[in-house]
Order: sequence, then structure tokens, then C-alpha cells
Amino acid sequence: MQFRLEKRAEPSRLMLYLAPILALAITAVLGALLFSVMGYDGIGAVREIFLTPLTNPYKWQDLAVKASPLVIIAVGLSVAYRANVWNIGAEGQYIVGAIAGTGVALLTYNLSGPWILPLMLVAGMAGGAAYAAIPAFLRTRFRVNEILTTLMLTYASVNLLNYLVFGPWKSPTAMGQPQTVLFSLDQSLPYVVPGTIIHLGTPIAIAVALIVWLVMSRSVFGFQIRTVGLAPHAARYGGFSADRTVWMALLLSGALAGLAGILEAAGPFGRLVPQFPTNYGFTAIIVAFLGRLHPIGCLFAGIILAITFVGGEVAQTTMRLPFAAVGVFQAMVLFLLLAADFFVRHRFRAVEPKTSARPA
Amino acid sequence: MNSALIVPFIVTLVAASTPILLAALGELVVEKSGVLNLGVEGMMLIGAMTTAAVMLTTGNPYLAIGSAALAGAFAALLFAVLTLSLSANQVATGLALTILGTGLTALVGRPFTGQPVPTLGPLFPPALANDPIWRVIFGYSPLVYLSLAMVVAVWFFLMRTRSGLILRAIGESDTSAHSIGYPVIGVRYLAVLFGGAMAGIGGACFPLMLTPQWAERLTAGRGWIALALVVFAAWRPYRLLAGAYIFGLLMTLEVYAKTSGGGFRIFPSEFWAALPYLATILVLVLISLSRKGSTSAPACLGKPFSPAG
Amino acid sequence: MSIDAPVRLALKGITKRFPGVLANDDVSFSVRAGEIHALLGENGAGKSTLVKMIYGIMQPDAGTIAWNGEIVTIANPKAARRLGIGMVFQHFSLFDAMTVLENIALGLDAKLTQRELEAKVRAVMSQYGLVLDPHRVVATLSVGERQRIEIVRALLLDPQLLIMDEPTSVLTPQEVEALFAVLRRLSAEGRSILYISHKLHEIRALCHTATILRGGKLVATLDPRVETPRSMAEKMIGASLKDISKDPNRRFGKERLLVSGLTTLAEDEFGVAIDSASFAVRAGEILGIAGVAGNGQNALLDALSGEILGTHGDAVRLDGTPIGLMGTTARRRLGLCAVPEERNGHAAVGDFSLSDNSVLTARDRLKMVLAGLINSGAAKTYTGKVIAQFAVKALGPHSTAGSLSGGNLQKYIMGREILQNPSVLVVSQPTWGVDAGAAAAIHQALVDLAAAGSAIVVISQDLDELLALSDTLLVINGGRLSKPLDVGAVSIEEIGLLMGGVHGTEDEVHIAPGGQIAVPA
Repeated sequence: MQFRLEKRAEPSRLMLYLAPILALAITAVLGALLFSVMGYDGIGAVREIFLTPLTNPYKWQDLAVKASPLVIIAVGLSVAYRANVWNIGAEGQYIVGAIAGTGVALLTYNLSGPWILPLMLVAGMAGGAAYAAIPAFLRTRFRVNEILTTLMLTYASVNLLNYLVFGPWKSPTAMGQPQTVLFSLDQSLPYVVPGTIIHLGTPIAIAVALIVWLVMSRSVFGFQIRTVGLAPHAARYGGFSADRTVWMALLLSGALAGLAGILEAAGPFGRLVPQFPTNYGFTAIIVAFLGRLHPIGCLFAGIILAITFVGGEVAQTTMRLPFAAVGVFQAMVLFLLLAADFFVRHRFRAVEPKTSARPA
Repeated sequence: MNSALIVPFIVTLVAASTPILLAALGELVVEKSGVLNLGVEGMMLIGAMTTAAVMLTTGNPYLAIGSAALAGAFAALLFAVLTLSLSANQVATGLALTILGTGLTALVGRPFTGQPVPTLGPLFPPALANDPIWRVIFGYSPLVYLSLAMVVAVWFFLMRTRSGLILRAIGESDTSAHSIGYPVIGVRYLAVLFGGAMAGIGGACFPLMLTPQWAERLTAGRGWIALALVVFAAWRPYRLLAGAYIFGLLMTLEVYAKTSGGGFRIFPSEFWAALPYLATILVLVLISLSRKGSTSAPACLGKPFSPAG
Repeated sequence: MSIDAPVRLALKGITKRFPGVLANDDVSFSVRAGEIHALLGENGAGKSTLVKMIYGIMQPDAGTIAWNGEIVTIANPKAARRLGIGMVFQHFSLFDAMTVLENIALGLDAKLTQRELEAKVRAVMSQYGLVLDPHRVVATLSVGERQRIEIVRALLLDPQLLIMDEPTSVLTPQEVEALFAVLRRLSAEGRSILYISHKLHEIRALCHTATILRGGKLVATLDPRVETPRSMAEKMIGASLKDISKDPNRRFGKERLLVSGLTTLAEDEFGVAIDSASFAVRAGEILGIAGVAGNGQNALLDALSGEILGTHGDAVRLDGTPIGLMGTTARRRLGLCAVPEERNGHAAVGDFSLSDNSVLTARDRLKMVLAGLINSGAAKTYTGKVIAQFAVKALGPHSTAGSLSGGNLQKYIMGREILQNPSVLVVSQPTWGVDAGAAAAIHQALVDLAAAGSAIVVISQDLDELLALSDTLLVINGGRLSKPLDVGAVSIEEIGLLMGGVHGTEDEVHIAPGGQIAVPA
């Protein structure tokens, strides 16, 4: 009996769902090996990073808090990537969204009322969308590749954030620390589960995933996104404008990244500091792929990546594993997922030993 | 301006341009073969971290450069296996490589972080290299002369050798090249490995001549600028040289803005720090405007090739 | 060629299997020195697979190849060239952004300096009367000129066997004659030619022997000069040919599609733009548009379908309504449907199910959308109807378009548009790559649609198809349309001249020796 690699006639749906699980399993094995080689307790590291956050109920609230921004950003990215629009600057849109929302907070600092927080959230979305509008404009008007522009704008946004918190927005009461004032109660996210740190961002993340799922699977808009991404020429024939799709994909993913940004600023941070960018925008890229560019998939993948963040913190304290290990695990998952995807379109098939045999 | 001001300025500029130039030359060859590797930033980080590690353990700069090239090529091999053999999406895989490079170097490089790395000094004897005027030509690290030699070498290879012709042909039409009988996947493997080695050497420039130490995310987006530069240069090596030096100028301005003040104070230092990135965007727009539609990009850039039938 | 010429190539028991198909099943035949040997068969009969094995691109699973009497293994195209086998591909293996000379150099294994190469190229060109500028960039050349590069490239190797894959499908009748002159010359020099085609009258005119394949099996080896095209065609398809049935007393109604002064911009630097096209198509009429590939057919289809917009609304009128500035969706709503040439990626999305592909173009006319949401049930029902009525071989509406064979996908696409009952249907290459049975069905469906009162525009490179199908004929060249020709009255020569870009009257034109068309300045 021999095995031969061949292309499948139709992509395998089973493998489509199995590939992420396979990638995670292999990551755990390879990760254990890698950290053992580096002189750590490899199996312990895998256990702490992947299992402890799940088995320890006290960590569940951390999972919800960390997963929420990841899910919100990744859902937006999954729409953009489906349209073949490579927004890799969600981190920048996240920062600018936070800046825009914080701007509203600073303007309303002496005011009160339940309208302030919603206004901040809207401003955050608008800020993220506006920042993503720059690459959309450059791509549709000047045919400039959005991969490079979204990324360059991310670097620029970090400098903008630094300028503001070291300069005009620096709190006069922070004793020289570079940070804005602390947000007031009306400007902060309410907790939704009493006695935990789970804030309004979590239900918002779930709602975003569900709504986008509905829109992508049922509506003409979702159909348009998928068509443009898979076959731009056919999309034009079907009456869908490529430029409009680029705009929609970037505005939507930018708005969601911006929403995640202001939720994070008004939630866990409660202000803006230079340490605000925590790479959620980049990690969400992994979430989007691990979630198969599907909103509900992103929900699960967001939780998985949140597990690695929380687990990384656990391992940092319990076994002095550097937090950078988390990044390695996350990158390995993405790498192995891309490799495992090969088997969605290909398979091994048993063939009889070749030459003379020639069955009909 | 007198030479006492302008010579150090040029020396800084040339040094700042060198890592981008090296990495961009590698990526140019990769893209000419029809492959888009967005992992340049990750491979540069791997090269930089490897260089620091080898320098701190052996102190031999040439061994460090060689190791950086090997480490970069090895990282590129991961990318090649995924995209060329397993036909994974090139954009996603390149991103994954950058994410992996960032994480892995942060982890493995921890013991070396912040330790001073001995630099690789000028190639020429001090009499020339330290001369207040002549150091504008003779005052550089061997890495700088290597980058210039590579501009010529890459141009000669692509435009004057048969192997270069074949590589360009594969980037123009993989199916045609395959039907004539050229090993499309094999040539692309070699190109991607070369690109990785060059990015690794580009990364080596940081600890060896720019920032004599290792730190997380040391390359600060230079790999991405190298990618933009290839577009800017319209896939031509000598234009790459010009482009790299323009970016070197912007980055030198940032250094001067931080240290000297004066006229630079009109804008906050964050503006100067953001300038190379904003300039990259501006340059991409200008290039697109000047070309009116035709991009001169290799026709197969980024498209997967599977030799079925 | 004489019958006792030595056997140059002999295939014995060649078998090649792909997942799910037996592409070649025990195929044996031989080619003598100086013989022009036709390889005939429908799409999917196994011709391409067979020649790919002779040229070393693929290896047979079983069987032997003998070359000048010795059994050989041809590991790759390089090995084939070393033996003296040259090949001219149907889809040219050229590099658009490079010069003619660079392209030729890439096809040669010998290392020559540019000057030596240029001298050799010029020598071969003058020897066989092939005209080309070695320093032009390929993208700027016509299809016929591109083919000449391939031929020069093959001839530089001094081949004993030249394989030509569907060489005439892109040429004007005059260019075909010129090509035949070259091939006959090569044959006279003792070189063998393996000539792959499905154009039967050309094979009768050119070839000494023909081998017919069907479903991967060898059906017959015969002398085409004593056969009729019909007898060969029936061997090829394994059934008797069906003719199109048209009502001889058919009448045309009012003008449904009126095009006047339609002009487009070229989509890229090498693209062809439409230059003030004007014509009318009446209810019940089938208008054919002939032309060599790359003369603006795609731009014309896109401009009629609404994918690219004209300069003013009046340029295209549908039942009197100006639609020149409307997009595809609006035009479809008003009754204009279109089928572009490229099936996968343009007319259909390969990764989508057939059902989703129905949503792509039929969502408005067949009410598959309500308040921005897609009614997938309606799409599925409609797709099932298309599959049933057009005998599409698919597992069902959920099958992906990419999993269908080219011919079946074409049937689905044609069915999807025809069953929308359009008042105007514009199709490009309706039967390209489709087997004869399916082609006959598609032709009949078009004729029936016209008979029901629709106006139809058929753009095709297959002159035989257009002559059989259309009532009126236009020729497109360099983005310009000729005046309307009556299909019953026009001669092939006249159409050929128009395809080659000659619009003058006959006495201004003469055909130079070697088939080059010359027009006095």
C-alpha cells in the first residue's frame, strides 16, 4: 500500500474545522519540546498556558476581559480579509479609536449624564473608521497597497499617542507621569457581572460577532464581500463595485478596531497611557485566521488567544516563564494553522503499488 | 554648511540606510521571482538578535554576520515550505513570519537584552577612516560596502546573467516557465532563501553599527519600509539605492531632532519619529501617480503556483 | 512524405491516469519522418495529456515511447528538446513583459551571446518567411506574431518532430494559409509534425494521417484526405452529428439593442479599447461578431454588459431606453444579460456553490433578495431548474462551480442566463471547450431564445460556429467593427481580410507570397 498526495475535488469541510484544532494540538507538543530544550519545564509551561486559565474559575473573568477586544477587532478583520483587503493596521485604528473616545472624555470631563459613554463609544468607532479611511482612500484613488499603508499608519499612531500623553493631554495631577486624567464614572464602562471585572465590552463583543455573522451569511452585503474577495472579476460582472467594497471593508474593520480601543481605554485602563498599545490589533490577526475568517469562529478563537494571554501571566508568576513565550505560542498556532490548511484542499489517498496494475 | 557638519550627517545617513537597503535587495530578488514575503521585519529581527547573541558569546563580527544570514535564511525556509510546497497564502504566511520573529527574538534574546555589543568598525585604516573629510567615503563599516556591492551584484545577476533571466521569467509567468521546463518552485525556494539571508544581514546592522545592543523590536518597522522601498524602486536595484538613502535622510533627521533641537523644535520629536513612516506613504502615492496604472510589478507577484497538469 | 520513410516516433500502450479519470488508455500510433500527423479529438479526449508525455512534461503510467527506433524515457522538456522534439503550445509559454529575443533565449538550452542568438533568429526568420522584430516587447504583439515567436523558438532547435497544439484557433484564415505553407516546407525537409486540432477541414487540407482519440482511447488512425469532415467528426464524438434547426421562414421584429458610437477607454496599457461601435440587433436576430482573439472582444462584451461604462447614455439603447451609463445590475433588471468568455473567475466564482453563482447574476430578475437579505431557497430552486433543463452534470445546487468540468460549467452558465428570459443576451465564446453534444444543445437553446423574440449577440473566434448560428455578421479588429455582413452572402476570404484588419475594397489588397497581407501605401 502506498499513499499519494492529491488535490481534492471539493475543499473538505471537516478539515476546515479540524485544522485549527490540529494546529493547537501540534503547537502544544512543539511548544513543550521547545521550552524543554530552552531549559524550562516544557510540559508545565503548556499546562499553565493552555489549561490553567480554563480549570481555574477565578481566571474566567480575565478571559472575558482579554477576549472581548480580540473578538471585536478580529470580527472586523475577518470581513476585510474575506474581501481580500489586507488591513494589518488594526493596532493603529485601535489606538486612534481610543484617542478619539478619550478626546470626548476630556471634553466632557466636567459634565455628567448617561449620554457621555455612548458618545465616547461612537467617537471611538468614528476615529477607527476615519483612520482606516486613509488607506481606503489611498487604495481606491491612487492604487496604493493597503498592507503597507495600514502598517505605516500604526507606527504613526503610536507617535500620535505619545505626543498627546506626554504633551497637551498630560494630566496636571499625575505628578509628571505621562498619562491623561482618570475617566469619571460616567466615562467608564460599567461592570456587567457583579463581583467580577467583566465589563460592558464582553456583551458588546458577543453581539458584534452575532450581528456580523448574520450580515455575512444572509445579506447581499456579505455576499458582495465574499464575491469580491474570491473573484474580483466575477464580482464586477455580478454588479459589485470593487472600490466600494474596499471602502466598506476598511471602514467596518477600522470602526470595530476603534470600538475595541475605546472600550479598552474606558474599561481596564480608565485613561490613556504610553503603555496603552498592547498588540491586540496584531494578535487579532491570528484570531481572525484561527477563527476561519468567520465571526463565530472568531468568538472561539478570541477565547483561545485570551487563554494564552492569561496563561502566560500565570506561567510568568508560577514558573518564571518570560511573557514573550506567549507570543511564540501564538505565532506557532498561526504558522501551523496555515500549514494544516493544506489538507483542506489536498488529501493522502491510498494507491496500489504503481506500474502494471491498471484496474478499470 | 561646512564640512564639519555635513560629513557626520552623511555618515549617519549612509549607516541608517544600510539595513533597509540590504533587506530590500533581498526582497527585490524574491519579488522578481514572483513571491511576496511580508516577513522581512521578522527575519531582520531574527538576524539582529542572532548577531547580538553571537557577538556577546564569541566576539567575532564576521561569524555574527554569517550566523545572521543563516538564521534569516532558515526563517525564510519556513515561509518557503508553507507558501511554495503547501501553497499557503503568501500574505498571511509573511505576517505569521513577522509575528513569529517578533515573539521568538523577544523570548530567546532576553538574556542579551541591553548588554553592549562590540561594533564592527570601519573597514579602512584609521588614517583614512577618521579623516574629517575622507571618512565620508572611507569611514564605514564593511556592512556598508557590502550593501553597495550587493546593489551591483543583484543588478548584474538579474539583468546580465542567464540565471537572472530565468528568475525574472518565472516571476513574469510561472506557467510559461514551467511548460518550457524551468523548475519554478526550486528557483523560488532559492530566491526566498536569499531574501532571508539578506534580511538577516540587514538585521545584523543594528547591533553591529547602529544601536550597539539588542532590544525587543529593535528594527522598529524597518523591514516594512524595505518592502515599500521595493515598490518605490519599481523593482530596479539602482533605484533601490536612491530610495534607501532618501529614507536614511529622514531617519537621520529624526536622530538630529532628538539630540540637537534648534530648528527641529518647530515640530514635536514625535513628529520626526513618525516622519519616515508618513514619508513612506507619501512616496507610495507619488509613485502611483507617476506611473498611471502600470505598476511594473512582476506579473505573478504573490500568486500561488501549483504545477498540476 | 513517402510511405517507406523511417518511423520517427512510435507510441505503444501509453496509459495515464488522473484522480477519477483515465486520460489515456493504451494508446499506440507512430509518426514517420516528414509526416504531418493530426491528433484529433474533443476537449477531454486526452490529446493534451498525450503530447505532454511526448514533450516530457508528464510521465506515462504505462507504455513506451520509441524515438528513431529506440525506447526512450523523456524525463522533462529539456530532454525532449535534446532528442529533437519541439513544441508550440496552444496557450503560449511567453513572457509578456520581456522582448522577443529574451523569450527565445529562455526557450533555448544552448548558451549563446545576444548577438549570436539574434543572428540565428534572423536567419531562421528569413528562411521560413516569418516576420518579427526581435527587440519588441511581447505584450505589444498580436496573437499571430506571438505564435511566430513560439515557432521560431522551436525551429532554432532544428527539431525532427514539431508538436503544434491547436495552432490555428487564434489566426485569421490568411494567417492559417501562411502557417500551412511553413509547415509544408518543414515536412518537405523531412521534419515530422504532430498537429493537434479539432478543425476538420484544416486537417483534410494539411495532414497525411490522422489519429482520433475519444475518452482517452484511440478510435481510429486514418487518411484524412479520403474522409469527409462529417465522417471524422462522428468518429470523434462517437455519435451522429445534430444540426441546428432554424425556422427558414423566421422574421425579425423591432430593434431591441441599438449601439451607436460606443467608445471605451483601454483598461490597461496593452488593452484594446472599443472605437465608436455602432450596430443594431432586432428581435429574433442572432448577430455574430467574428475576430482574432485580443481585438477588443472582451472590452465590447464588458461595455455591453455594463461592466465598463460608455461615455454617454445613448451609446447603448435597450428597447429604446438609454442604458450606456448603467451598471450590470440595472441593465439586467431591464432585460440585458451577458456571458463573458472566461468561465471560472468571471462568469462564475469557482469556490461558490452553483446556488450562490445563481445569486450572482439572477438575484434581481428572479427575486432572490428581500430587504437586503438573500432567499437561498429561491436560489436553490432556480439552480435546480438550470441543472435539469441544461443537463448539467453536477451533484446538485450545492456543488461548487470549480468542481464542474469546463463544459458542464459552461452549460450551467448559459442556462443561468437563458432561463432568466432576457430580452437581449450577449455571449462570448458560448461553446469554447465544450464537447460537440453540449455545443449543439447550447446552439439550439440560443436559436430557440431568438425565436421567442430575444435579440442575441454572439462573440466568437470560431468562424464555423458563427456561420452556422448567426443571421448577420460583424468583424472586430483592433476595437473597430466592420459593417454588417449577410451570413448567406459573404465569403470566408472577405471575413478573413476583415479579421486581419483590411477594410478596403478588394482591388486595393493583394496577398503577398507567404500569406503576408500587403496594402499599398
